Amino acid sequence: MSQFLDRLTYLTKKKPETFSNGHGITTDEDRGWERAYRNRWSHDKIVRSTHGVNCTGSCSWKIYVKRGLVTWETQQTNYPRTRDDLPNHEPRGCPRGASYSWYLYSATRLKYPMIRGRLMRLWREAKAKNSDPVVAWKSIMENKDDCTSYKSIRGLGGFVRADWDEVNELITAANVHTIKDHGPDRVIGFSPIPAMSMVSYAAGSRYLSLIGGVCLSFYDWYCDLPPASPQIWGEQTDVPESADWYNSSYIIAWGSNIPQTRTPDAHFFTEVKYKGTKTVAVTPDYSEVAKLTDEWLPARQGTDAALAMAMGHVILSEFHRDNVSNYFDDYTRTYTDMPFLVRLDEHKSGLVASRTLRACDVTELASQKLADWKSVLIDEKTGNLVVPNGTVGSRWEEKSEGESGNWNLETKDNTNGSEIWPVKSLLDNYDEVVDVSFPYFANKQHDQEIFQHTDHDDIIKHKIPVKKVHTKDGEIFVATVFDLMMANYGVDRGLGDENCAQDYSDDKPYTPGWQEQITGVDQSTVVRIAREFADTADKTRGRSMVIIGAAMNHWYHMDMNYRGIINMLMMCGCVGKSGGGWAHYVGQEKLRPQTGWLPLAFGLDWHRPPRHMNGTSFFYNHADQWRYEKLEVNEILSPLADKKEWDGYSLIDCNTRSERMGWLPSAPQLQENPLELTKQAESAGKSSVEYVVDQLKSKDLEFSCMDPDNPDNFPRNMFIWRSNILGSSGKGHEYMLKHLLGTQNAVMSQDLGEKGGPLPKEVKWHEKGYEGKLDLVVTLDFRMSTTCLYSDIVLPTATWYEKNDLNTSDMHPFIHPLSKAVDPAWESRSDWAIFRGFAEKFSEVCIGHLGKEKDIVTLPMQHDTPGEISQPFGVEEWYKGDCDPVPGKTMPALIEVERNYPDTYKKFTSIGPLLEKLGNGGKGIAWNTDTEVENLRSINRQVRDEGVSKGQPRIQSSIDATEVVLALAPETNGHVAVKAWEALGKFTGRDHTHLAKPKAEEKIRFRDIQAQPRKIISSPTWSGLEDEHVSYNAGYTNVHELIPWRTLTGRQQFYQDHKWMRDFGEELCVYKPPINTRTIAPIKGTKSNGNKEVALNFITPHQKWGIHSTYSENLMMLTLSRGGPIVWISEIDAKKMEVVDNDWIELYNVNGTIAARAVVSQRVPEGMSMMYHAQEKIINTPAAETSGFRGGIHNSVTRAVVKPTHMIGGYVQQSYGFNYYGTVGSNRDEFVLVRKMEKIEWKNEPVTKLERGAS
Amino acid sequence: MHTFKVLSLLLSYPREEWLDHCDEFKQVIVEEKLLSKKLIKKVVALITRLQNDDLIDAQENYVATFDRGASHSLHLFEHIHGESRDRGQAMIDLMEMYNDSGLDVNTSDLPDYLPVFLEFLSTTNIKTASHFLGETAKVLTLIKERLAKKQLDYEVVFSALVEVAGEKVNRKEIKEIVAAEKDEELHENIDEEYEEPEAFGKNLFKSKDYLNEKIAMKIHSSNPHSQPKAEDSAQQEQ
Repeated sequence: MSQFLDRLTYLTKKKPETFSNGHGITTDEDRGWERAYRNRWSHDKIVRSTHGVNCTGSCSWKIYVKRGLVTWETQQTNYPRTRDDLPNHEPRGCPRGASYSWYLYSATRLKYPMIRGRLMRLWREAKAKNSDPVVAWKSIMENKDDCTSYKSIRGLGGFVRADWDEVNELITAANVHTIKDHGPDRVIGFSPIPAMSMVSYAAGSRYLSLIGGVCLSFYDWYCDLPPASPQIWGEQTDVPESADWYNSSYIIAWGSNIPQTRTPDAHFFTEVKYKGTKTVAVTPDYSEVAKLTDEWLPARQGTDAALAMAMGHVILSEFHRDNVSNYFDDYTRTYTDMPFLVRLDEHKSGLVASRTLRACDVTELASQKLADWKSVLIDEKTGNLVVPNGTVGSRWEEKSEGESGNWNLETKDNTNGSEIWPVKSLLDNYDEVVDVSFPYFANKQHDQEIFQHTDHDDIIKHKIPVKKVHTKDGEIFVATVFDLMMANYGVDRGLGDENCAQDYSDDKPYTPGWQEQITGVDQSTVVRIAREFADTADKTRGRSMVIIGAAMNHWYHMDMNYRGIINMLMMCGCVGKSGGGWAHYVGQEKLRPQTGWLPLAFGLDWHRPPRHMNGTSFFYNHADQWRYEKLEVNEILSPLADKKEWDGYSLIDCNTRSERMGWLPSAPQLQENPLELTKQAESAGKSSVEYVVDQLKSKDLEFSCMDPDNPDNFPRNMFIWRSNILGSSGKGHEYMLKHLLGTQNAVMSQDLGEKGGPLPKEVKWHEKGYEGKLDLVVTLDFRMSTTCLYSDIVLPTATWYEKNDLNTSDMHPFIHPLSKAVDPAWESRSDWAIFRGFAEKFSEVCIGHLGKEKDIVTLPMQHDTPGEISQPFGVEEWYKGDCDPVPGKTMPALIEVERNYPDTYKKFTSIGPLLEKLGNGGKGIAWNTDTEVENLRSINRQVRDEGVSKGQPRIQSSIDATEVVLALAPETNGHVAVKAWEALGKFTGRDHTHLAKPKAEEKIRFRDIQAQPRKIISSPTWSGLEDEHVSYNAGYTNVHELIPWRTLTGRQQFYQDHKWMRDFGEELCVYKPPINTRTIAPIKGTKSNGNKEVALNFITPHQKWGIHSTYSENLMMLTLSRGGPIVWISEIDAKKMEVVDNDWIELYNVNGTIAARAVVSQRVPEGMSMMYHAQEKIINTPAAETSGFRGGIHNSVTRAVVKPTHMIGGYVQQSYGFNYYGTVGSNRDEFVLVRKMEKIEWKNEPVTKLERGAS
Repeated sequence: MHTFKVLSLLLSYPREEWLDHCDEFKQVIVEEKLLSKKLIKKVVALITRLQNDDLIDAQENYVATFDRGASHSLHLFEHIHGESRDRGQAMIDLMEMYNDSGLDVNTSDLPDYLPVFLEFLSTTNIKTASHFLGETAKVLTLIKERLAKKQLDYEVVFSALVEVAGEKVNRKEIKEIVAAEKDEELHENIDEEYEEPEAFGKNLFKSKDYLNEKIAMKIHSSNPHSQPKAEDSAQQEQ
């Protein structure tokens, strides 16, 4: 064929168009094939939501919904922009969050209400006999065998599905019976971290508060609450947002594993390095953050305070003594207690530092109002003793009409307003130099050699420049806090003090040379880092920052770790400065619209006060953990304390004394039903308060905490929601199983009776601790957590994509929604709907049992109320006859509350009248909120039904509930913010309204935040500002608006002068080594399986492959880790026990036991074992050889050990507040014996068989 | 086709409402003769057991068998997609299949819940039912063998379904796999089990016989969560 015929004449073959020098080509082929992909990724709608408990992220996510099913989620990227000089927030969200949609339809999801079959059977039989559900429940409770039959199989399966109606009836009948026969304070609820889904939290707490039940605090129990924060600032965990890291010039990440646990925020940490900011990591292991930073200081775990003290030594020497930084000097005189005067008391060893000098001590100042509460300093201008503005005395001083306060940080004399300038040191102008004794704690040999000690004396004497002051007690010596501190740090000041260091390498506390033997960190590095840190702060006016994680706070002496570091920040003027300060991101999260939320959450619109209890003391007491206490008070007392005063007291005794003195709260409160007490009072013809005081005084009535094994004092019903209290949060897990639940447990510890004492002095000892105190345990969750396994009733909740709620974080300034992308799957319901359901049923079931009842509530002296200034000097116990029982002064306040129980549902679903009657507020200020309530009447509409709630705004749906929070809070309603700043201005005598006026008209509603997360409005609830120029940073308004800190002196306090603080040697920061928990010695050698055993310190950091501490058992997470429980150990220890990577190992001590696989890694130093937090018992856990039962969880080898200094109350910043101050559940001083396992048994016989065998 | 409705109920949570009709169930099974004599006898025995059991015992038994853990999950896609994102799309496709037959899903449960699927089959004819069951035969056989291993009498329902299924699977092979399974999911070959499907392999999502391909999982892995690889599944089917 001719080629000619192939050639086209009239047509031309289309050539594809090329571009980019032929690298690209444009074609026009049919692209229909792409449709398959498009359809695959098509969706009906996108909804904004986030993840509720308890990651701090609060990240914006797009949830894709197709045909009513969630198909996947991706990061949302439309946050409001930041500023021209700051990177934007997004992208936020980590791979763990992106795996959540898989959870919705997973086999692990809880789908139906479940109840243990045995209890169901008992209930149905009882109901068949008694049509009244309350009578039916009572009949079960009265049969001991029946009770034991279902309590003893808790945790062993045997669940059946139930209908909502039936479980609601059972639960509320149990509540009614408990309230009627035992008291409302025997109904307990636990839920953590409201900030992450505040309406869901509020649902349960509102129900409980309305019926008089108790909400337990979580922050302290999780041990994420740093008591140092209230001690120093009178403020709990107020921290900079992560964007403020970008404003910093020097960052130390101290025990915070930022890239791993703060993934969505880590970009600011990385970005700031491009500005030239230096980053340093302090972690004991070669962690992710150690790899990310410029320098790594591998300090031995638990010894951080030693390192911080040595750095403080360097900073004080070089910037406060040798080349005084003017910036640091001004800052510390104005904003810290360094200039305040401390009385020096006689002691057998010489002189010791005592409480601060008060106006009442000094004749010429004693006539001032509240003189007991005004600390004194010397004015440089006149040389006179003066009380400056801003002490707590100024705060609560009564003012006449129209008179404004002077509770501010202006450097003025508080009586006449004349300018003063505080004297910080008496070095140049002393009357005498005297020897003062300081306690030293690091000189005892620890049981385990990884914790080193030094050979210094118990009591170290230092030379202190002092002034003589004439007081009503005669002439005394006083010294400034600064001078005491310099000596305590071992900084030589030319006074011939032989216990001060001449050189950094001297082995004297607290030099860099001294710390090296304890922390293992090279001293020259310590000197260099401390110098760089301070030098940067000096040049940048405070832009040095320390980011801290939970790690350091979980040690028994966490206060020292924290105070050591915070001291560095205060010395360098970093607190309250952009890019500077203390950045502690642990556990609490920031409930930004707090004051709007409080009335909703605790029913303050209907009754005040609600019942609150500090979680740690509750579990320590009622789970009988105290029965196994091995730490004695005299082991931790200061060598300077009067040992006689503490003779025979155990830790539980201290807590009991604290409760009686009104320091810590009580729940259950008293050995009698409060509803009965008011009736008895009436028949005795006395007021309830008078009657109870008389009864207590005559000791006819005792506090429940004094006899926790007496059935009269048991907590009876427990609600758990949004939490895994028996699992990831169950310190002393096995003790909880034994005493609270009465079921199978692996407690191997002898109690004090078996051990032969010493028994507590103030708490009644029963030979046998009661097992199974709780009658009913109800848990709400979306997954079968360890806690669900152990509950009697498990209720399926909506997941984070199935409910409407609010979410805020301390990591960024936005308020974010959780949105209902789809209806709750299967039978699940939102927390709000579940508790509303209880309220409805309760109102019905209670009729005939509970009507209008008078309840009497015990309330400890609260921080940020005038009650915080009740006990100015020493410790006086009415119980011992030291003083009279005066409610709210020497003992808890007693407040009568009337509850009409059948109205519970009506109250739950409407806003009560108290907001209009009493106003709203928080943190010691209050404002009228009529406008907002009126506004809610139109937003949420009014209740039309007859009854107590008629005409009140409705709170029917969870969106109604969100609107209540948003309307009432200054952070989300500009008008309220202006009112709140005005209210604060009355105390400070300064006008702060300019901080909110530009945003006065701004009102954030639920639909607004669904459209885009919104920045909150600045409010006096918080100490930072959120505006166009600064990122949120704590203490900012204290420094820039001169608002005092909420402490004794109104300044940040280096010095803590409460009697108990001094008795335990913590008036100043010192280094205290880890305690000896004595949990391995009694068991060592008794449980051998023939393999070599090593004793290792047991650490539980937050993990990489879990949604924070919420879950780690979805297949993604398991796949990325090792698919089951794992424990990290060092190569050296592995060699000692002949363990190789992935071997099964057992970790045990007297508290319990764990079976897990070993991860042998160079990351871990010798002597440490590390088990990531929140691995569940339900996944791949074989039987432990010591117990024969299924191996436990990471909390199995722990037991809470409480600390007396955390029990202090009625003393300004050391006063109780819910999730603010109190005992904490520390757990890192613990050691375990570790060995290779011999046999791996799964213990998986079907539960039904086991149960039938047992019954 | 009432037999399928009965089997659907037998796999439902034991409730008085339907347990009262047990005699009717027996009658249907016997009269319709969709199953072999041997199986009819066994299914009737299961019905009798449920009829005679104490209700709460029966419920505990059901919860312990089906509500806890993934290995006997009655959600078909749990065995195929596990917690993978593909599951959402698969459920949507299944829902569309019901819709095409003029049926709507009217339950709080998911479309891949086996009783829902069986009820759907009860509205079709035996040929269609047999075809669809054929597509799920491997999963059904897997659950059957797991139940058999634990001597749980719910096994007979799955035996019945496998019997009716058009597609025959290599029962011996699955049995061996199940026999080798440990009680606990150990995830020993976790990397292999969780391998991603090829992104640009055969498009699994919209083929004609999509359900079949979904279920043609790599059953050898004995892991319920693994995802099918396009090529593997094609080979297996040949």
